[in-house]
Amino acid sequence: MEWIEIFDLSIFRSLLRSTAPIAIVGMAAAMCSAAGVLNIGLEGKMLNAAFAGVYASYTFESVWAGFTAGIIAGLLTAALFGLLSFTLGADEVLAGLAINIFALAGTTYLMRTIFGQAGFFSDPRIVGFEPISVSFLRGTFLEPFLSDFTYSVYLMFVLAILLHTVYYRTRLGTAIRATGENPEAAEDAGINTVRIKWMVTVFSGLLAGISGIFLSLENLTMFTEGMSAGKGYIGLVASSFGNNTPFGTFGASLFFGLGDAIGIRLQGVYELDSRLILMIPYALTVVVLILIGIRQRLRVRPVPITESSIE
Amino acid sequence: MEKFSFKDVLVTFAGLLITAFIAWVLISATGNNPSEVALYLYEGGFKGTRNIANSLYQATPLILTAVATLISFRVGMFNIGINGSMYVGALYAGWAGYKFTTLGHFTHVTVCILIGMLVGAAWMLLPALLRVYAGVSEIISTIILNFVAVLFVSYMANGPFRADPIAPATPRILETAELKQIFPNSQFNTGFFIAVFVAILAHFVLNKTTFGYELRSGGDGLVGMYPSRFSSYLGIPSDRSAIIGMLISGALGGLAGAIEVLGAVRYFFQELEFNQGFDGILIGILGKLEPIGSVIASLFYGAIKNGGFYVDYKTDVSREIIIVLISILIFFVSAQKMVKGLEKYPLIKKLDNFFSRKKM
Amino acid sequence: MNKDIAIHLKNITKEYPGVVANKNVDFQVFKGEIHALVGENGAGKSTLMKILYGIEQPDEGEILINGKLEQINKVETAINLGIGMVHQEFTLVPSFTAPENIGLGQEPRNSQGIIDWKGLNKLVVNIAEKYGFKVDPSLKMIDASVGVQQRTEILKTLYRNANILILDEPTAVLTPQETDELFTVIRTLVDEGKTVVFITHKLREVMEIADRVTVMRAGEVQGVSETKNTSIAELASQMVGREVFLQVKKDDAKPEEEILNVEDLWVHDARGLLAVKGVSLNIRKGEIVGIAGVEGNGQSELVEALTGLRKTSQGSINYLGENIASSSPKNIRRKKIAHIPEDRTNTGLNTQLSIWENLIGNSYFRKPLSTNGIFNLKKIATHSNKLKEDFDIRAPNISLKVKSLSGGNQQKVVVARELSEDPILTIASQPTRGVDIGNIEAIHEQLVQMRDDGGAVLLVSAELDEVMAVADRVGVMYEGQIVKWVNPKEVDQSQMGLYMAGIKD
Repeated sequence: MEWIEIFDLSIFRSLLRSTAPIAIVGMAAAMCSAAGVLNIGLEGKMLNAAFAGVYASYTFESVWAGFTAGIIAGLLTAALFGLLSFTLGADEVLAGLAINIFALAGTTYLMRTIFGQAGFFSDPRIVGFEPISVSFLRGTFLEPFLSDFTYSVYLMFVLAILLHTVYYRTRLGTAIRATGENPEAAEDAGINTVRIKWMVTVFSGLLAGISGIFLSLENLTMFTEGMSAGKGYIGLVASSFGNNTPFGTFGASLFFGLGDAIGIRLQGVYELDSRLILMIPYALTVVVLILIGIRQRLRVRPVPITESSIE
Repeated sequence: MEKFSFKDVLVTFAGLLITAFIAWVLISATGNNPSEVALYLYEGGFKGTRNIANSLYQATPLILTAVATLISFRVGMFNIGINGSMYVGALYAGWAGYKFTTLGHFTHVTVCILIGMLVGAAWMLLPALLRVYAGVSEIISTIILNFVAVLFVSYMANGPFRADPIAPATPRILETAELKQIFPNSQFNTGFFIAVFVAILAHFVLNKTTFGYELRSGGDGLVGMYPSRFSSYLGIPSDRSAIIGMLISGALGGLAGAIEVLGAVRYFFQELEFNQGFDGILIGILGKLEPIGSVIASLFYGAIKNGGFYVDYKTDVSREIIIVLISILIFFVSAQKMVKGLEKYPLIKKLDNFFSRKKM
Repeated sequence: MNKDIAIHLKNITKEYPGVVANKNVDFQVFKGEIHALVGENGAGKSTLMKILYGIEQPDEGEILINGKLEQINKVETAINLGIGMVHQEFTLVPSFTAPENIGLGQEPRNSQGIIDWKGLNKLVVNIAEKYGFKVDPSLKMIDASVGVQQRTEILKTLYRNANILILDEPTAVLTPQETDELFTVIRTLVDEGKTVVFITHKLREVMEIADRVTVMRAGEVQGVSETKNTSIAELASQMVGREVFLQVKKDDAKPEEEILNVEDLWVHDARGLLAVKGVSLNIRKGEIVGIAGVEGNGQSELVEALTGLRKTSQGSINYLGENIASSSPKNIRRKKIAHIPEDRTNTGLNTQLSIWENLIGNSYFRKPLSTNGIFNLKKIATHSNKLKEDFDIRAPNISLKVKSLSGGNQQKVVVARELSEDPILTIASQPTRGVDIGNIEAIHEQLVQMRDDGGAVLLVSAELDEVMAVADRVGVMYEGQIVKWVNPKEVDQSQMGLYMAGIKD
């Protein structure tokens, strides 16, 4: 009986809500990976943005102040990653890792030192985002499905379409793909690959920043230590599973979102330990990694030796 | 692996100076007195037997996680999941610590440690196999397993292994499973000597044995190189090296966790929090992926970490500042072009050549 | 003669740490001519062209294009000046089609910035037809033949309105027949008013295609001449500074008993396609067997199968009477088979490791270098220093990382290691690639010495001259098969060219 109850309208809405942060950061990861930048540092960008968003929203009692501050934090963290990796020649993985450790400790330090709080910081002065009622959907059968979400869900759809167009139908898109696949070819075509890498990195800072802000100012209005909880990494896995394309990443993110949504719902239906529920997204990630591995193994199939092998 | 060169040391010290300056700005900006913080940092790290003992206690798991890091890096694999191994190693060492009731002291401690190491190694098996047999990035898989580990041990301490009806914790380990604490009022314990021994052993094995040569033939740079065509070409199975390297790395992570539980905490509880797996990566890099260098870096880090606790206790400055500063230091050390850029100064090049000459 | 000058590089000097790549080079190309730039590896041709194409900046000197002084500090500038370059290593994006590669960075687009892919395809087909090419607009480069890839590269420069085309060693990967096709294309280009700079070290091609030729040696221009007024011998002496051709001093082989016998060997490549299709060959003690052929015809996979780096799919490899097909590289090495691999930096060496750590790769496990798994560092030092002396590896000490050595010295580390353990069979694949002329001779002498000391040698090389000079018997490989066995003394190069193109008698 429960399975029928689990899949209903609210799980669809919960699915979209859970998918959005992963899809947004996943598409940031996809653009980076497509251009040949292994951006481990997305996690740190999200976290810095989430904190900056809460801090500014609290200080100015304005959600848009929080939004702006979060984006600036995401961009600055991205600039740090770019500076280390592209200008100063640090290994991308090490730079990303150091940034993540830096962001986790840095936001915790600031929260404890500025607000004198450990664990989490919440305050009525922090203003969050409100859901949007989409006017042209009103009264249609789609209204219960697609209206009254907060920004992230709509942004996710817009981004997927926008990036798909950029990816396949603009010079920037072909330049990004060429940079990732064969940088010499791109350079030879007059494409400045370092500039392309900088561009996707800065863009990823923007998206990771936005995704981070939504973590702390959307459904919740608070900051918790390490609240990005691996979403940056899951985004990387989603992009890898989706072959670094916008639609592919979006599809993979839906898979993670579904797991999340079912988990949330199961909590209501069964008496399950919350830790096991929380483990679902990570367990799913491991499953996806295994699937990626199987796919990579299947790609090479030796052709049979027959009499027609020699033409 | 490149040995320490003069310019590396120069960059590290320049980085330290700049980091100190950033610390000064950061601490002032949050309304505290930097020189006061510096004093407490020094006192907490180095003043008196108890603080020194505690600094060494802090260094203990760091030595192990740093060596775990460098072993995986030097076989050409990026193991970021040592923290996960540390958690599961700690949990199961703790479990063995109360479960086996009939063993003598030495046997019990040994069994607990071996179980911790075994579980820590097992935790790395999946990422290693996925990387070797399916080409899945070990970076991502080990990171994800860190998150799984935290939730898993927390679940176990709260459920199957729970003893206390009030607090989610395992039973206390038996006295026969304890690593002895040597100084009063300090959690410093004999585990420190195990850690130093392991580092020396790692130094010997990596640099002076055929087994170590086979392990690092495929990598030995700061940047992962697995799968190595060079190893396979020489007839050294680089797949096997990569898997063994990951398992040793995980085992040492598990050992770090086991020593924490057997030597200091004495039971496993849900809120027990480890970060040493991540710190170990930073220390391994600071130590240039050399075991002896990592011991030195760990002692330094352990002292300022302990100093950080004292600062946290005495002032409003939170102890996370230490990790912030170390990660900033890593930014400098990892900036290869900055190190290379120094080569154009003749004096530095001369000094570099002078310090790096070797007889062989 | 009073012609317009398309390119004038004036007094170009370019130094890299420790090497002067170009020294006061003066280089002029007339409009509408085919100009050959010849020289040995490392003579400075590539550096000069990189400077012209904006990849490198000269330390001194000026660049005049069509009589106008230009600053070419990036590739974009060169492209805008109408200069196009086809690199020796193709610069194509594998998953892109020909038009996607050709249009890269310059795709036609509408006012919203959306690329007009159909328009691009049409443009590309039109340009191709004008110069007599054929293109398949939907074929991805990863599935295209080398010839198609090269034509795509040339079309790429034409698409960008190049008037001056630089072709860097364009024939290195082609069969003689494909080379002829390329030459027809080049002549069409010149008829249409283009100027072509043709970089090569094959003098026969120079005489065939070029109007004029500039010879470089050791970073300097040795001479400029019209091809009709010069000869191969004269160019060769300018090129190498002495009047010799590639010659290896050796007596006739005295082959004895059979060491290796390969029967009907089939091997798949990394993509799962058949790369070796039923190869049979045998090698006897005291002889050098050569495998000639254009690269990519299964030689790499054949060598990998013989050395255990790749599984065999069918057939047997009998070595001293034992089938070692699909055996592990370790087992094969322990049977005294040495392997000088074609890929030096990733396979033959770990450049992160020191010289001595690379030198002991095939001997670290034996006494006295190690005992019970523990290194004897003193013995290792003696062993390594002796190899360093014997093989003339130029380095201050053996603790230096291999990555700091020059290409030639790196190769000497590989050769020293591989020949150090008294191999019964030595498999050498492209052993002199990227090695300077002096060291090439040394490596050839060492291979002949191995033979004379009673070893068996398999030499695989894409350099036809090398195989013909060093080997005692030569098999020509084409599309995974050995199409012909020849005695190098009894066959001429044009005949070999036909075999390399798969034409059997």
